[in-house]
Amino acid sequence: MTTLAENPFLVLGLSVDTKRIEIEREAQKLLGMLELGFAAVKSYATPLGPRERTAEAVRAAVAALRDPYQRLVAEVWARHAPAPIETAPQVAPAPPAETHPGARRTFGWRP
Amino acid sequence: MAESPLYVGIDLGTTNSAAAVFDGEHVSVVRNSLGASVTPSVVRVDKQGRITVGTRARRFIEQDPANTAAEFKRLMGTGRAIDFPAAGKQLKPEQLSAEVLKALRQDIQDQLGVAVERAVISVPALFELPQSAATSEAARLAGFARVELLQEPIASALAAGWRADDDGGGTWLVFDLGGGTFDASLLETRDGLLRVVGHDGDNFLGGRDFDWVITEHLASQLAVVPSRNNPDHTSALRALRLAAEDAKIELSRGDRAQVTLAQPLVVDGQDVEVDLELTRATIERLCTPLVDRALEVCLRLMQGNGLVPGKLAKVVLVGGPTVMPIVRQRVAAKLEATIALGHDPMTLVAQGAALYAATASLDGRAASQTPMTGRQVWLQYPAVSSDLTPHVVGKFIGEGAPAKIKLVRNDGAWSSPEAPIAADGTFIMSVTLLARRACTFELVATAQDGERVAVSPPALTIVQGLTIGDPPLSRTLGVALANGHVQVYLERGAPLPARRTFTHHTVETVARGSKESVLRIPIVQGEMDQAHLCRLVGTLDIGGDGVRDTVPTGSAVEVTIELDRGGRLSARALVPAIDQVFEHVAHLLVPDASPESLDSAIGDLRRQLMDLRTDAFRNGLTQMIEKLDHLEARLSEAERDIDAAHGGDADAAQRARRALLDVDGTMADAHLARKWPELESEARSLAIGATSTVGLHGSDAERVLLQEVLAAMERARGEKDAAELERQMRLARRLSSAAFNRTAEAWEWYFDDAASEVSRTTDLPRAQKLVAEGKKAVDKGDTESLRKIVKELWALLPEDSEARKRGFESGVR
Repeated sequence: MTTLAENPFLVLGLSVDTKRIEIEREAQKLLGMLELGFAAVKSYATPLGPRERTAEAVRAAVAALRDPYQRLVAEVWARHAPAPIETAPQVAPAPPAETHPGARRTFGWRP
Repeated sequence: MAESPLYVGIDLGTTNSAAAVFDGEHVSVVRNSLGASVTPSVVRVDKQGRITVGTRARRFIEQDPANTAAEFKRLMGTGRAIDFPAAGKQLKPEQLSAEVLKALRQDIQDQLGVAVERAVISVPALFELPQSAATSEAARLAGFARVELLQEPIASALAAGWRADDDGGGTWLVFDLGGGTFDASLLETRDGLLRVVGHDGDNFLGGRDFDWVITEHLASQLAVVPSRNNPDHTSALRALRLAAEDAKIELSRGDRAQVTLAQPLVVDGQDVEVDLELTRATIERLCTPLVDRALEVCLRLMQGNGLVPGKLAKVVLVGGPTVMPIVRQRVAAKLEATIALGHDPMTLVAQGAALYAATASLDGRAASQTPMTGRQVWLQYPAVSSDLTPHVVGKFIGEGAPAKIKLVRNDGAWSSPEAPIAADGTFIMSVTLLARRACTFELVATAQDGERVAVSPPALTIVQGLTIGDPPLSRTLGVALANGHVQVYLERGAPLPARRTFTHHTVETVARGSKESVLRIPIVQGEMDQAHLCRLVGTLDIGGDGVRDTVPTGSAVEVTIELDRGGRLSARALVPAIDQVFEHVAHLLVPDASPESLDSAIGDLRRQLMDLRTDAFRNGLTQMIEKLDHLEARLSEAERDIDAAHGGDADAAQRARRALLDVDGTMADAHLARKWPELESEARSLAIGATSTVGLHGSDAERVLLQEVLAAMERARGEKDAAELERQMRLARRLSSAAFNRTAEAWEWYFDDAASEVSRTTDLPRAQKLVAEGKKAVDKGDTESLRKIVKELWALLPEDSEARKRGFESGVR
């Protein structure tokens, strides 16, 4: 399960009804553009504000969407998510959960 | 060959190796100097130190076993050197593998006139990291500048799928019975994309087991019976095994074979004549249980993916032993499937590796052969594409890029519209490919005045065909923490290459200049939450003698773990406080398996098994009893290998070690199942808690997803699948706490909890000061400050020493 900001559809900038072959095509284009340093694709919009788009995130997104179950979960998230925010919010977004190892421990998951 | 690409794939097998090349349209198997498509993975070193590889070396296995090595692939990564007494030399398994690779590289050069520098080499699906590292090292020693490793089942799947003319879909199975391992992979092809649906295997079942049962049958008929656990009988058994192997091959065609040795065997000082008859019926009777064991794996895999016999589109057979008629018959009968024809089981893996080299854009030839002329452009495009209209992305280097560009397909039947080049030299275009063909496109660039501009490279080639996604990580990878748990970095199935960074905090001080003071960051692989149930695959040490300044307790350490496409591991730790990076990962060797340590390990496992069995009987857990019976059988097999290890068989020792590791892993699952009642009640309270938290504080999406997770938990409860239930419970906890953390009370709650443990902290005055500040923050309702204070308090809480031991003495939390 990925967080809201890491939703594969958001990472690839595609709508939930995109066909599989189109997903592959878009991912291949994004990877090429990232490799050559195209500024336009270096970030993507999420409901929590813009996030950095990396080659790893694109590959992970396309791999997730190849798996029917993971695609279903991503669709559910994407359909219910608030609209993406194109510009950075005034208040800095909360740091990712992994910077609070104790919180994870308190809840009993892998710290 | 100069114009078309040359992609090289190598199957570096336990018994035989093969090489194949792909030119963008056709795959061909490279023949060796004897005209054969496979080269035995055998190396001999004579007394002058001359090295012979392949069939010529194999002839000496019987005559000069001391100076002839075979099956060294099983010892890869163990660091154990093999003696060649005649030459007074010792060679490591990777050096021997390098000799085989050199021979194959030479064969390619002889056949195609190209000294290849890049290739894809296949490795078994469950190769451990040190074994993969040893394979890369072997390639380097053989003169390859760059190699990528590919899992064997994926290679055979790619080759089998590539040749399939129909893209008719359906699920199919690759049955790969190699010299020492068995792999079963379920696959589907859709829209030209190959997907591995599931994989299972038996790391301890292969052609050599077939040879051994036949050898043991032959031995039992001799006047004096040689035994595997007597080192003095090794030579007699080796001769008998070679004869058994030949007879097995002969019986793939005929009904009877005569096993006769020119020289009598010497067993316990007595000459024993060998002149026996072997029938096909006998070897079929002997080998049927082994074939059935492989079929059990297939059925388990199919069942796990909702398939029953009769529902497979086809079965592809891979590996030498699958040539045996009994294997083909039983597979077809039990799986009620058609065996796909037209694949060479001996070279399919090498062919798949060559196809994959194209996908990975790994042209085997040296990087640049032609001098660069014209305006240089960087291009990004898929070397192999299942899509008929992929994108080509480019960027001209330097100032004054051409104004326009178009791509012209070399058959002249298609060209792209002319596209403008942006001010920064970039462009994006789409090209149209011909199905199942390699298409070359010429880059036609023009300046503002319409004049043609020479471009380097002048053309690009894309092959249209089946592609496979990035290879998935076979086992979860993480860092062991001081509390004995694992911080997962990369989950099983993550596409490779992959990289992830997490910030940890040190639990002890690293004193500058002190050699004894070492902070350890253990890297582990496995599916368990607890570190001691995972395998240690490397450590990143931050030593006192290497740090610029003392690193106090609680300092942040940013750890990055990276895996390349072949699963090679690298890691680095950045300590911001002293602005220093530590990169040296001590790659552990596959542990040495001394017969004594194996004896002690198997004794321990037997005791655990007995406990579990008693418990299972007491609670009437039928499924568990069945599982334990299976483990019992595995232990008995391992015991036979340990016997052989006592007789000096290092290979059997490694096999036993891996078998015991495997049993240990399954036993961990069994222990988990033993906790079932507790787990079930924990799951119930979690479901109630999560429903209320997510219901009150969660978003719509979180509520929908929680419903899915709760349904999955219910399914796992119904199926009594403890591991799956734990996994789903983790997801439910994540959802629940994500919702909880959004509330203002969350951090107050964490603060109260941490403040109540203040007496246990490592720095009491500091902790007390933090508690006082925290109280003020609560009063003011300053959640942001409170969050920072709670984090600092957590860093001051100690980890207990037992937990640290279980976490491989990890120095981070």
